[in-house]
Amino acid sequence: MSIAIQTSKLTKVYEGSFRAQDVHALKELDLIINQGEIYGYLGPNGSGKTTTIKMMLGLLFPTSGTIEILGNPNVGSASVKRNIGYLPEGAYYPDFLKGEEILEYYGKLYGLGGKDLRHRMAETLELVGMTHARKRLLRGYSKGMRQRIGLAQALISDPAILILDEPTTGLDPIARKEIRDILANLRDKGKTLLISSHELLEVELICDRVGILFEGVLQAQGTLDELLVQRDVTVDVDDLDDATAAKLAERGLQVEDRVGTRAKLRVASAITAYEALELCRAFNLKLIGVAPRRETLEELFVRVVGAAQSTRRQ
Amino acid sequence: MGAFIDFFRGPWHIAVYTYREGIRKKTLIGFLILSLLVIFGASFISSYLDPTSETDIDLKLIKDICVATISIFGVLITIFISASVVPGEIENKVIYTILSKPVRRIQYLLGKFLGAQLIIIVNLVLMGFLFCAALYMRQQVFPSLLLWSLLLTYFEFLIISAFTFAVSCASTSAVVPTIIGLFIYITGNLTEFLKDVQNRAGQSGKWFDDMIGWVANALYQMLPNLQNFSLKTQIINGQPNDPPTDVLIPNLMAYGTLYAIFGFLLAWVIFWRKEV
Ligand SMILES: Nc1ncnc2c1ncn2[C@@H]1O[C@H](COP(=O)(O)OP(=O)(O)O)[C@@H](O)[C@H]1O
Ligand SMILES: [Mg+2]
Repeated sequence: MSIAIQTSKLTKVYEGSFRAQDVHALKELDLIINQGEIYGYLGPNGSGKTTTIKMMLGLLFPTSGTIEILGNPNVGSASVKRNIGYLPEGAYYPDFLKGEEILEYYGKLYGLGGKDLRHRMAETLELVGMTHARKRLLRGYSKGMRQRIGLAQALISDPAILILDEPTTGLDPIARKEIRDILANLRDKGKTLLISSHELLEVELICDRVGILFEGVLQAQGTLDELLVQRDVTVDVDDLDDATAAKLAERGLQVEDRVGTRAKLRVASAITAYEALELCRAFNLKLIGVAPRRETLEELFVRVVGAAQSTRRQ
Repeated sequence: MGAFIDFFRGPWHIAVYTYREGIRKKTLIGFLILSLLVIFGASFISSYLDPTSETDIDLKLIKDICVATISIFGVLITIFISASVVPGEIENKVIYTILSKPVRRIQYLLGKFLGAQLIIIVNLVLMGFLFCAALYMRQQVFPSLLLWSLLLTYFEFLIISAFTFAVSCASTSAVVPTIIGLFIYITGNLTEFLKDVQNRAGQSGKWFDDMIGWVANALYQMLPNLQNFSLKTQIINGQPNDPPTDVLIPNLMAYGTLYAIFGFLLAWVIFWRKEV
């Protein structure tokens, strides 16, 4: 598999002007984004995601380190930018134009024109579900519509790489799902997607690989299978009462998601699955099922960021 | 040749967009309407109020008001638009979506600068047209002198525009470049006065006076002499179809263009590694 975007030892310091403190936004970042994957670039607010992305587009310049896009270190040049579609954070577009006029303007900046451009405009408007509003002024668009037009302008030149900064932040659940579907669809067409987000559940649903950034340092990077450890086992039981639940908890079986007499027992790492089943038999619980439980991205995130915070404190 | 045309394609699209956005600005529309009202009022209404007093003085006064109006409102529009095309786009963050397209920074600047020129020219043409029409109706001769004057006025605005634009590339808001633009306009029209300051300061021999003289001379050498571009005296006193005297129009155009190129290059030097 070839590499779409690679950074090595990428560092960015925002110099504080007039007695303000310098901000070390990124520290020796080594990212690898493979071609044809959806890469989830995760981190809490202020961890440096937007800074990284802006450097990939030549809007900011690295303090040190390098970026290569499709093997070309000359990021920010027209020939590299030709292959990239970019959706900036937040929705800011010229709002005196109509939806389709915006696409036309941005398409022309990619050197498109004539029939090609009209064809691409119709195609992307359809893809993001904005055909119905193409003749309306952007001023009257809702936030979700702006985000869709933003996505459309990023897609107008049919670029190989898409860089999307918080594409679903601030949208309602239905719009999120639709955008997620569009993105997965693009991946299936062979595009490379770099998606920054702090919405972990969403990323878990569509990303192939993730990188977790915290305070400008890449804490972990890999596929979800590599990163999410199979931590424990859950046992589904019935016929549970309060007294038993309390006793189970003492022995290391945490009761979760209890509905009436049914519940999920989470087996702590201190005891084995066999011991857990023995306990269930001892308390005369009805056994429904036993399943391995994978760590969620959220738990991974908390674990990784928590570890980073505690090493920093030392 | 193909590459040459390709280079200007992006800037052209940006210029057209900048123009379309710029002419919607309320401040600009306000300036334009005010100036048209003044020209209209001075030239038409006065003749209705007192149709018998078609004296020479009357006509001179009207011409004076109209020339001053075009100059002042024209320069306000010039400074306002040149100071805001780039900072405005940084402020509303549209610049991220433009600079991430396959457009070089110099192409971006060129597009913005050309767009500003389109706005300035259209405004100048509107104001000039009204003044020409008014003069023509008064005197029934084609006011060719006025057209020459408008051409020179544009080159004066071009210089102010280029330097205001350069300063705007270094700032994040339009306030500082607007102030600098006004400074350039005012001092550029006072360079003869600077020369005078230098001559007088040189006479006392005191170091403080010498220093003032030196500063005045430096400013005199550096600043464009915008007075050269004005045909005001001739317009007011002469006939509207006189050929322009005392000025070398091609030289002034070259002078204005050179200053503008220098200002634009300055903008580029400031902008090419600017972090946005
Ligand atoms: N222009 C700037 N000047 C100074 N500091 C900045 C600037 N932009 C971002 N920062 C700082 O850099 C850090 C990373 O910011 P950012 O890249 O926006 O994070 P994220 O996108 O992950 O929320 C933050 O601490 C932020 O305050
Ligand atoms: Mg961000």
